[in-house]
Amino acid sequence: MLSEERRAHHEGALTEPASGRLVSPDIRDEFGLETIDMNMGPQHPAMHGLLRLILELDGETVVRCDPVMGYLHRSKEKISENRMYPAVIPITDRIDYMHNIAMEYGYCLAVEKLLDVEIPPRADAIRALMNEFGRIMSHIPSIGFLLLELGAFTPILYAFRERERIQSIFEAVTGARMMFHYIRIGGVKADLPEGMPETMWSYIEGLEERLQPDFVDLIEGNEIFISRTRGIGKITQEKAVEMGLTGVPLRCTGVEFDVRKHYPYGWYKNLDFDVVTDEAGDVEASYRVRMGEVRQSIRMIKQILENLPEGEVLGDLGRRLRPNEGDGIARVESARGEYAVHVVSDGSDTPYRVHYRTPCTVNMQLLQEIVPGHYLPDIMPIMGLIDPVSGAWDK
Amino acid sequence: MPQVGQGIMKGMGVTLKHLFGQKITRQYPEYKRNLPERSRGMLTVDMDRCIACLQCMRICPDHCISIEQTKRDADGSGKAKPYPIGFVIDDSRCMYCSLCVEVCPVNCIYHTEEFEVQAYNRLELARQFGERPVDPRIDPKPAVGKKKKPTGKKAPRTVEQPRTGGEAA
Amino acid sequence: MQTVLNLLEAEPIRLLVSFGAVLFLVLNLAAVLTMAERKVSGYIHLRFGPNRVGPRGLLQPAADVFKLFTKENVSPGRSDLWVFLGAPIAMFIPAALVWLVVPFAPNAVVADLNVAILFFVAITSIGALGVVMAGYGSRSAFSLLGALRGAAQMISYEVPLILSLLGVVMLTGSLSLADVVRAQGDTIWTWYFLPQLPMFVTFYIAGLAEVKRVPFDLPEGESEIVGGYMVEYSGMTWALIQAAEFASMAVMSAVTVTLFVGGWQPPLPFLDLGNFNWVWFGIKTALIMFTFQWIRWSVPRLRMDQLMDLGWKILVPITLIWLFVTAGAILIF
Repeated sequence: MLSEERRAHHEGALTEPASGRLVSPDIRDEFGLETIDMNMGPQHPAMHGLLRLILELDGETVVRCDPVMGYLHRSKEKISENRMYPAVIPITDRIDYMHNIAMEYGYCLAVEKLLDVEIPPRADAIRALMNEFGRIMSHIPSIGFLLLELGAFTPILYAFRERERIQSIFEAVTGARMMFHYIRIGGVKADLPEGMPETMWSYIEGLEERLQPDFVDLIEGNEIFISRTRGIGKITQEKAVEMGLTGVPLRCTGVEFDVRKHYPYGWYKNLDFDVVTDEAGDVEASYRVRMGEVRQSIRMIKQILENLPEGEVLGDLGRRLRPNEGDGIARVESARGEYAVHVVSDGSDTPYRVHYRTPCTVNMQLLQEIVPGHYLPDIMPIMGLIDPVSGAWDK
Repeated sequence: MPQVGQGIMKGMGVTLKHLFGQKITRQYPEYKRNLPERSRGMLTVDMDRCIACLQCMRICPDHCISIEQTKRDADGSGKAKPYPIGFVIDDSRCMYCSLCVEVCPVNCIYHTEEFEVQAYNRLELARQFGERPVDPRIDPKPAVGKKKKPTGKKAPRTVEQPRTGGEAA
Repeated sequence: MQTVLNLLEAEPIRLLVSFGAVLFLVLNLAAVLTMAERKVSGYIHLRFGPNRVGPRGLLQPAADVFKLFTKENVSPGRSDLWVFLGAPIAMFIPAALVWLVVPFAPNAVVADLNVAILFFVAITSIGALGVVMAGYGSRSAFSLLGALRGAAQMISYEVPLILSLLGVVMLTGSLSLADVVRAQGDTIWTWYFLPQLPMFVTFYIAGLAEVKRVPFDLPEGESEIVGGYMVEYSGMTWALIQAAEFASMAVMSAVTVTLFVGGWQPPLPFLDLGNFNWVWFGIKTALIMFTFQWIRWSVPRLRMDQLMDLGWKILVPITLIWLFVTAGAILIF
């Protein structure tokens, strides 16, 4: 199934084994050893979705790992061509279903480039506020999934307790627990209800207290966790930049790049936060970067809640939305990495073409490059480093 | 090489503390929580107010609303106005996005707090509101007009989000 | 009435009847343990385990057994049917046989062998065979991997298991389990876990590995190979494998208690209950099983090479060193 050149690439790549554990193909031929071709198929409880991995195993060591994606393809880009501009927003919600708000945010920013509408500052602030809540809502279960795949069943349940609480906040603000449909072209749908800033504030303070015992004490010092994740999936800075990674896999190698800081949008120009990086580049570093990002999000939420401007929340756009012709491109930082939307408009009711550049599609290359040389049980922590969401890589 | 030591003991202390702590399970269906006022549940239509403008049918991303329109003088004013003689909402397709609620000019379609949508047969999930039943299996003709008449207005030059500070990657 | 009791005292009948009773106890224990595991895991996860079937969920094991009886026993098409179906039996029999020598109360042992410890060690080694049969007979890549891991793990961890017993044998001077319990005295500080603390810890960890529980459940690794050697089983065959796993967990706790924590001895002399000391035995075994479950829900699992490192490079040297310390202490004191 692989073309000749790809097969040659892999054989060539394996003369320099990633770790000392790989037996070179010549020695294998000399002793008559064979490898097993195995399929970690689309039906698997731990694949972060529907992913098929074609593995070639030499005992327990992975010699070749080819991901086959496409089992959750739902033609979101084609569907967006046949829906009116505001009706595309629920479609974007379902692309990355762990951090939906960023998906909506990116699309709305892209369409706003084609209009000349002024976004009220309160809308900007609420957009950033909800975006950061969404980021916490996505990072904490990601840590839980990493541990679930390592075999510890408890942290994921504590993580989902946090996610459920944030989902209740979202339900009070937007009306839905998961597919929010809140950020609109021109602002946000409706203002925060009465008493919501106080609820958010008390939740955030509670979260800060709970992070230490429930997550850090349980996970970070655990010797088994350290031995399973330190040194696994090591990426160098050059390789990360060469592969085009963004988000946590890039920042855990030490490259300081965050779209919120370097290409700021919306309210992020007024916020004070650090870009969390780590030098090690392995799975444990990605865990630390995610925890650091959760803390930075908490810091940002507190800043926004303290200085929430007054005003209306939705710019006036008229009844039928017909943007000017042209392209609108916007990039936002989602929990998975850099997410960009390119909207091409031809002046009619519906977009001519929408392209979603999801970070997971690009970050999944890591599996093919980094996994050979590791053991079979190490595939799971490496998936935890990339932290893909199946809806995002397949759209 | 892993050594059993402090980290594991601390983790086990955390789980033991939670073992004797308070549980957060809510026993549904004996306990039903109060939904917030903005919750989006099943849709329902107030047929007396519907003016069959077909806006909800056009905007629905899933094509779950199907309306059969006719002209009838419903309020005795002497003029035949558009009247919805068949109205079906297919719950097996609805994704609770509330676009139809927002676009309705007379606020006749709205969300209730019901979320327990269940049936033994998929066709039972299509709720008919009008006099004449409409078949939900037929996709309503997508009424989105692709008017490709160029408006002549070009978008302002799309300036990239300007780059600030930091090391280039 | 008297003739019936006299008949029961006669040797072959006594053995069969008491073993039958113990087997009945073990099968029920396996069912109850599934329930206990789910409740304990639920409480750790801030939820109540199953609590709908029966009062407080106590009839859940009955519902599970009923469901498993009525499920279809699927076997893969190309599998070797005799090996495939024989594997659950081969896994259950060693777990059940060890109960022959476990002392429940001062005179209540099914078979008071004077080489009971040797019997225990020999029968536990057979458990590895069942795992390999299951993985090989299923004829699928995941099962084969699970079987190989299981065989390697169980065979390597028998070495620290046996070596850590030897300290107890030296202190007692006999291989009989009933003697070991009697020699431990009836106060909590004369039990063997204090003077033999490293051996106790080693035996506990090696016991965890023999029973294939987290952190050593890689043969069954749920996240990578989805059930490993038992992925192709369903229905009653799977139920028998699960029963075997829980029964061997129970027997490992029972033997740990017998060897190190005092068997049926009460913690303080005035709490002695005479022939009802099986209550103390039960309480201690339940406590050790609770710790097995507590560890399961708290720590992630070890990878294969780390598991082997732990067994060979850390546990075996500890036991060897402590053997010398024990021998020296016996000579001196």
